[in-house]
Amino acid sequence: MPNTAPNSDHEQFTRLLLESEPVMLRSILVSVPHRADAREILQETAVALWRQFETYDPARPFLNWAMGFARIETRRFLSRESRRAQLSEQAMEVLEQEMQGTQEFDSALETHLATCLGKLNEKAQRLVRGYYHEGHSPEILSQRENRSVEAIYKTIQRARRELQACIERKMNSELA
Amino acid sequence: MTDSTDWQALIQKHLDGRCTEEEVAALSDQIVNRDAVRSDYLKAARLHGVLGDETVELNPKVIPFSPPTPKKDLRLQPIAWSRQLAAAIVTGAFVGLTGIGVVWAMNSPRSEASFIPIANGDFQSMTGPVEAGFPNRFGYWSGNPAEVVQEPDGNRVLRFLETGNVMGNPEGGASNCSVFQLVDLTSLRRQWEADRSESQLTLELSARFRRESAPKDADLPKLDASVRIYLFQGEPEFLSSNWPNVVREADALGKQAIKLNPGDEAATISTSCLLNSEANLALIAISANTRMGRTTPIELGGYYVDDVRLTAIKHPVLPVRFVK
Repeated sequence: MPNTAPNSDHEQFTRLLLESEPVMLRSILVSVPHRADAREILQETAVALWRQFETYDPARPFLNWAMGFARIETRRFLSRESRRAQLSEQAMEVLEQEMQGTQEFDSALETHLATCLGKLNEKAQRLVRGYYHEGHSPEILSQRENRSVEAIYKTIQRARRELQACIERKMNSELA
Repeated sequence: MTDSTDWQALIQKHLDGRCTEEEVAALSDQIVNRDAVRSDYLKAARLHGVLGDETVELNPKVIPFSPPTPKKDLRLQPIAWSRQLAAAIVTGAFVGLTGIGVVWAMNSPRSEASFIPIANGDFQSMTGPVEAGFPNRFGYWSGNPAEVVQEPDGNRVLRFLETGNVMGNPEGGASNCSVFQLVDLTSLRRQWEADRSESQLTLELSARFRRESAPKDADLPKLDASVRIYLFQGEPEFLSSNWPNVVREADALGKQAIKLNPGDEAATISTSCLLNSEANLALIAISANTRMGRTTPIELGGYYVDDVRLTAIKHPVLPVRFVK
């Protein structure tokens, strides 16, 4: 398929994939929180999508079609990798079923994340940015901050809990 | 893994790939069987996913950060967090204290919890000895001899130094080393008043304790650590002047203790009480107790505490059944 697809198909595929990738990555991260693993799954999903692109019906939302592939690739990845402890199959199924139910939270997350980040203390902000945006490992951050790896994890985990509470508070005040 | 497991903490650990097989198995089981844990997991994972998305701008909007103060921090922050069983246990404990009988919750619906930062609950902004004596205003730690020390990794923790009588009474008991903080509940109550007829509010206090070897360990065979919370209607100064007899006037109380051996893994314990009266302040206490009827101070030194947290849990009025 990829070799015979016209250029317009390739362009269309690239556009659709680029639009959907962030949402797909976030969904994969629910089942596979490790970011490098999730990106590997996303990459393999993209390959599988391209191979099957001729079966895609443009009348249907690309994202829904693509998410089916992402689920398959996630399972495939988890069945061959055992680097980290994994959620049970049943747990992943119920999470996938209920992902749609978090739309209000997702929307609040998009709207309020930056504001809530601004309410974290300076150290927590710096670590969240270093861990996520700059992609540094806790080991690198521990050297940079002159603190133990354990303390880095503790601060990041606490920051995420505070962020979640802040976003939920804002979401509920909007709904009230 | 027990029902008192802090599932939110475990979720956070899992997001960083730090859970053991056993912990992930327990978490999986909770995700399948408990709506609240599932909902919490989804939200935490969604947040983790958005933070991990390089296309999302992580530069915070410029909002001046103001350090938390108890009054400002006492806001209800709804988090989907089911506490049906905990609420039932808490209700039972409270009713048990008042001698009414046995109580349990039946088919209680979803609860909401708020994580309330207390002043220096993680001790990161403190150093050196804590103020001596019983606190007479909101928002600071004070009590028996204790100090905040910095660990090699930069984390700060509170260390219990010596037992004493917090009121300075030489003939009074000196069996424990306690550090207290008064928390103003006025704002929290104000927010809760609106739907008070339909909901109950529980305050949960938790702290993480660690014990290392200390010279006097052999003299302290029963040494343990505890968290206590008392709810009062009154003013800080009144409590300060009338401690400890004023305990009898507490509207509600909760206590939990743990006995660690030197070198044991750190452990988090928690206790709760219902805020269903006119209480306007909470007194929280973290202690190391010798369990001996002493009137003279004794050096401790091996017990440390960190991550003291206060959580408000709002839950719909529970259909309860009383049994005499």
